[in-house]
Amino acid sequence: MSISAINEQLLRAIGVGVALVRARDLSFVFFNQPFAEWFGTPGENAKLTEVVEALGEADLGNLQDDGLRFSSEVQIKRKRRTLVFAVNISLTQDASEPLLVVECQNITRIRELESMIDSYSTMVERNTRELEREKERVERLLLNLMPRSVYEEFKTFGVVTPQLFPQVSVVMLDFVNFTDFAARTDPTVTLSELNDIFTAFDRIVEQYGCERIKTIGDAYLAVSGMPEANPDHTAAVAHCATRFLRYLERRNQSHPHKWQARVGLGCGAVVGSVVGVQKYVYDVFGPAVNLAARLQVQADPMTIVATQEMEEAMADDFQTIALGRETLKGLGDVDLIQVVKPLDKTKPHQRFSQ
Amino acid sequence: MPNSLYEKYGGFKTISRIVISFYETVLDSDDVGHHFDGVDMNRLIDHQTKFMSALLGGPVSFNDERLHTLHRGLNITDPEFDAIMDILRDALMQHGMGETDIEFTLQEIEKKRPIIVSRRSP
Repeated sequence: MSISAINEQLLRAIGVGVALVRARDLSFVFFNQPFAEWFGTPGENAKLTEVVEALGEADLGNLQDDGLRFSSEVQIKRKRRTLVFAVNISLTQDASEPLLVVECQNITRIRELESMIDSYSTMVERNTRELEREKERVERLLLNLMPRSVYEEFKTFGVVTPQLFPQVSVVMLDFVNFTDFAARTDPTVTLSELNDIFTAFDRIVEQYGCERIKTIGDAYLAVSGMPEANPDHTAAVAHCATRFLRYLERRNQSHPHKWQARVGLGCGAVVGSVVGVQKYVYDVFGPAVNLAARLQVQADPMTIVATQEMEEAMADDFQTIALGRETLKGLGDVDLIQVVKPLDKTKPHQRFSQ
Repeated sequence: MPNSLYEKYGGFKTISRIVISFYETVLDSDDVGHHFDGVDMNRLIDHQTKFMSALLGGPVSFNDERLHTLHRGLNITDPEFDAIMDILRDALMQHGMGETDIEFTLQEIEKKRPIIVSRRSP
């Protein structure tokens, strides 16, 4: 068998559609079996552009001029299927006259797999986005239950080590006659009032870098100096306390129910930890919390009570009034003060600047 | 213990093969092939990939309303539905799904019959 015969056998046997056409008039010199199957057997004087209708003469013009390779994708409808072919055409001058070599590869399956992968990846991506959103929801929820730094520890290690914070200030607020109000009011109204007020408190607390720990019924508990230490923790809670009362005063002017609250400030050590295994709650315990709770009871409506020891820490910022000594359950004799109002801080600055 | 047949049979790796087999046979079928005349290949493959994944509990849901919208106006008959079920059974079998799992899967689709079939045979 001659080399040319072997070549021809090869061209017939391969799965690529091959045709040779004269560059002059695009008439066929040769085509193999796959080519005929896909595009139909070319007739006697058929031209390439007639057999492969997607090809135009203009497409092939360049080839004769500068020997470029023409590449394109051709789709044909075969019964219900869309077949996709990658067509490559190049000019060869080796033969007795210029010929165009047409190679066609069936890339239908590749295209099908591509669209399947597209379809699959949109599914997976949508799922990933949903999971991501779900994760954010859970995170937001957990951040309501514990401070961020505690949450980070919880996320990394799965547990939270109870931590002692030696210098912390606590603010505790409780409403006067709340039980009466709750008893004679529609529960939804009570709840929406509390929600409204506590949301405002949360903003105040955040503004002064404090941390709301919890609400117990109508009581509101926030701390300063934990989890991040704050040298001005006492002043910070005093600021919150005065702002709480000012907010209530303003609110009372435009709302039917006039809320009255007592506020206690405490200072000292506190332990913070997540309590519970299934139902997580971040909570604080310790002398500072007890103190704030006791002092809050001592306060007259719409006043803030703290201890004598705390006075110095807030002397720069607040005016205080001594309330005398009281014997408190579990705490013994304590000298109390009332935190009146924030001092106008602009005055000393003016003096220094002169 | 895998959570779904989708995971049990190797996820997308297997799904893609089942879809190709199913798609090929459906298009060649004399009973049901005509429903796919002139359908866009990408759309068909997209639907089949999602349908197959959903069917086996993969990461997609294919709700009944969507199924209804897709088949509305196709005038699918009960015998055609049965023919598709046979093709699917073969495709699942061909890719190594166990007998019980195939039965379970087909029963799941059987529940969708009223949504897909729009022309009840007399």
